[in-house]
Amino acid sequence: MSLLAAIRKLWHSVAPRTRTDIEEEFGSTLDAYQEDLIRQGLSEEEARRKAHIDLGQPAAQNEIYRDAIGLRLFDELRGDIRYGLRALRRNPGFAAVAVLSLALGIGATTAMFSLIYAVLLHPFPYAGADRIMNPVFIDEKHPDEPLWFPLSKAQFDGLSHAAPVESSLGFNNAQMEITGSALPEDISGIYLTENAGTFFGVRPLLGRNIEPYDADNGGHSVVVLNYRFWQRHFGGDPNIIGHALEINHAAYTIIGVMPRSFAFNDSTGVGDVYLPGSLMQGLFNVPYLVYFPWIKLRPHVTLAAANAALGPIVRQFATQHPERFPNHWHLALQPIIVPYQQETGRTLTLLLAGVVLLLIIGCANCSILLLARGRTRRHELAIRTAIGASRWRIVRQLLVEAVVISCTGAVLGVAASYWLARLPLLLSPDSFPAESVIHINAAILAFSVALALLCGTLFGLVPALRLSRDDSAGRALGRQIGVVAASGKHRWSVLIAAQVALTLLLMSTAGTAIRSFLQLIQTSLGYDPANVMKVGVILHAHDPGEWSRIQPREARTAYIEQIREKIASVPGVSTVAVGTDATPPDTGAQRVFNIDGTSNREQPQARVMLVDQRYFAALRIPVLEGRVWNTDENARGDFLAVVNHAFATRYCSSSNILGRQLRIPGLTPHNRYQVASAQSTAGRQIIGVVGDARNDGVDRPVVPAIYVPYTAVIPNYAQFFVRTQADPLIYLHSIRAAIASFASDQQISNGSFNGTFTLKEAIEQDTQYSRQRLFSILFGVFSAMALALALAGIFSVVAYSVAQRTSEFGVRLALGAPRAHVLWIAARIALVSAAAGIVIGLGFDGFLGAVLAHWMQSTFAAGSLFGAAALLALSALLACLFPARRAIAVPPAEALRHE
Amino acid sequence: MTKPVELPQGTLEMLILKAVSLGPLHGYGILLRIQQISGERLEILQGSFYTAIYRLERRGWIIGEWGESENKRRARFYSLTAAGTRQLKTETAKWTDMAAVVAGILNKKANEL
Repeated sequence: MSLLAAIRKLWHSVAPRTRTDIEEEFGSTLDAYQEDLIRQGLSEEEARRKAHIDLGQPAAQNEIYRDAIGLRLFDELRGDIRYGLRALRRNPGFAAVAVLSLALGIGATTAMFSLIYAVLLHPFPYAGADRIMNPVFIDEKHPDEPLWFPLSKAQFDGLSHAAPVESSLGFNNAQMEITGSALPEDISGIYLTENAGTFFGVRPLLGRNIEPYDADNGGHSVVVLNYRFWQRHFGGDPNIIGHALEINHAAYTIIGVMPRSFAFNDSTGVGDVYLPGSLMQGLFNVPYLVYFPWIKLRPHVTLAAANAALGPIVRQFATQHPERFPNHWHLALQPIIVPYQQETGRTLTLLLAGVVLLLIIGCANCSILLLARGRTRRHELAIRTAIGASRWRIVRQLLVEAVVISCTGAVLGVAASYWLARLPLLLSPDSFPAESVIHINAAILAFSVALALLCGTLFGLVPALRLSRDDSAGRALGRQIGVVAASGKHRWSVLIAAQVALTLLLMSTAGTAIRSFLQLIQTSLGYDPANVMKVGVILHAHDPGEWSRIQPREARTAYIEQIREKIASVPGVSTVAVGTDATPPDTGAQRVFNIDGTSNREQPQARVMLVDQRYFAALRIPVLEGRVWNTDENARGDFLAVVNHAFATRYCSSSNILGRQLRIPGLTPHNRYQVASAQSTAGRQIIGVVGDARNDGVDRPVVPAIYVPYTAVIPNYAQFFVRTQADPLIYLHSIRAAIASFASDQQISNGSFNGTFTLKEAIEQDTQYSRQRLFSILFGVFSAMALALALAGIFSVVAYSVAQRTSEFGVRLALGAPRAHVLWIAARIALVSAAAGIVIGLGFDGFLGAVLAHWMQSTFAAGSLFGAAALLALSALLACLFPARRAIAVPPAEALRHE
Repeated sequence: MTKPVELPQGTLEMLILKAVSLGPLHGYGILLRIQQISGERLEILQGSFYTAIYRLERRGWIIGEWGESENKRRARFYSLTAAGTRQLKTETAKWTDMAAVVAGILNKKANEL
């Protein structure tokens, strides 16, 4: 027997017989019986009558059959579902609003919670990520500026062997250059201690991790690639393992590629390549080998215990290097998630509250619609009861209808959540850790779906329960057919009030978020980013001949100045300045300095920015006191500095600042590519004070800064700040050509650190900026959704009640009621509920105002609250009156015929 | 003519099994056969008759096959399956037992107690 035949046989043994089969068999029995009766002497007509009476109708036989084999419940349910779908099709508006309400609520809640989970609760792919700490020390004078501290190899080992530490990772970022190909490319490398593989516990996509034996013989020349770099540079070549990569003129073997989710690390810069830390020894010209540590605590060690155990060890380091620590400080272990939580956590929580509100509004809306619809269906239900439908049958039918609505909404909601969860990342990729991969959270999806189903079912059943309480179906029938005044008891009026109040809450929160974003845009940056472009250039480190020519400091300065002049010669370019690492809004390196030769043990820190004298003009940073240096002084690089206003107020408030001396001990070459002036660490006289320009991000206050001629320490790259007369990007081609006319093989780079982009773009890449923009967009969208839902709810309720009471209005109009009065009656309940909702919402908002203001760190605007209330009131009024107009539009006679 | 007997609930199915066990029959044939065996004393509720047949077929105790009746009509003939044979046997045994017990009780005289 073939398989197909077996399946057919199985099907025949399980499948019910068809209607024709049943009817044919029954027909043959009827015929046989009829013939017998005729044989007994009855006429043909009489025989047929008797046969039908004794045996039954052939048409009913299929039902008897399905009942007999237990398919009746199934059949009835199918009928209910069909009926429910048909009822929905008859009222497409009702169905669409109800389904959409649930879908939006479910989709938005699930998406937002999944986002929060991915960003705040579980953003890292590392093993035991919640136990990985970033040790910082906190200057008790400025507790809001935690400082990272580098460790020497011995100190790092000491910390690694402390009791609460399971293992620790040392890392150090370095700018590198890919050489050996036609175009040099600047990349970011991270040296990792060789335990990186086990510390992260992330399986590489290809090849292997850096392993302890890579430390042998001063470090193996191997690299592991970051996923994005692998995609960008090698086009995702799966056979890349074992190939060579030339970095800074040395050959490295590619041993692994990390998965997409691995993007170590966001705080100091994501690496394109990862290298064994032991290699640093040969490359860096520093007195102590620098490691930034990450520490993984043992399981069940509390943060407090770890802080207490590690504090004394770090104090020991402080006695070895007192110059690197302030007077009063303490150690703090920060979970690596903290920077994101601090920056994003509160607003995300607020957003979550917003979407939960949206879910509640959606459920309330669906409930209102079901309740209103239930009222109009009392007539139908009463008739069904009157002709013998059991109560269970009616409950079941209403239940099925409600479930059909809820399920459709839930299915759409699940689909919407997938799309909505991706939205924030599309809108604002910079606000989230590069490593976070957003998955839909199954638990919260289940929760919102369950809530929606429960809500739909519960309120779908209300009409059935009420019907059974109307003790006799006949009375309900009579009341329906007659003309009845509104009973005044509307459960949905409470729901409308609640919904309107919640909508107002959401709208005013959105108003606050949008306002604080606008404030951020309008804050004084302290510099003018319009029409300024940064052009990054990597000097010829890759060509040994060329490099040796510009190795000396004077030659390098001359080379940079010549490029600067070439750029300045382009028509349309008004000012060109030079700087290294001075691109606002986040500029300069944090360095220790001392002032007036004081050997104060507590060493103050400031951002040190290496720029030329034109920098202030190019960025339109005003000179407040004194002067900036001239061309000769710029070439010399030593003995003078300019400070910003924040520096002056913090460190020199008491006396005249001009003429004071400061020293920056760290202003020395840090690697073999850097070259310093003769006296770069000697005393510098403060010759000027300039205005505060944002240097710690768009939203944070300006920190003290020292501007020093860039020739004090010149790395192997330079940045040109080009102010143009129009959009800078249109001059880019001419600038490229001008540079090429001088040095044909000098490329303009386009990396993230030393790349070429406008200062406006730099602001837009600022995390705070993009985050605030994202939040105002999301809040705006949520509140618009909530408003739409609330209005749809009000609209449908009024439309339903008007349709239900058409005859009543007809009678009223016929008896001479003024139209305005009828209009008022039609819209009254919804209007009053909406007004009550607005009042409640205002009160609630006032109460929450202080809390919100604290959370959003901006003033809670009464203006946006009342604006939202006015908008809501106006649209609610329209949503009431528009459908209510139908009550007076119908001619009285027609209204009376309505039933 | 003897008095008609009303059928206790659940026995109709047993009777149908018995009727079919003597050879394949179509629905009307089963009806006639039962009346014939009972000596026309059983009045079968016509409406419940096919319900019983459907149920037996669903349970797999009888199986229906389309064929041709004695007067050259298409009709569905039922025959007993192996499971049906077993079912008939247990039902018969159960019925005989019960009937004997009940009859025994009812026939007791006062002096026999």
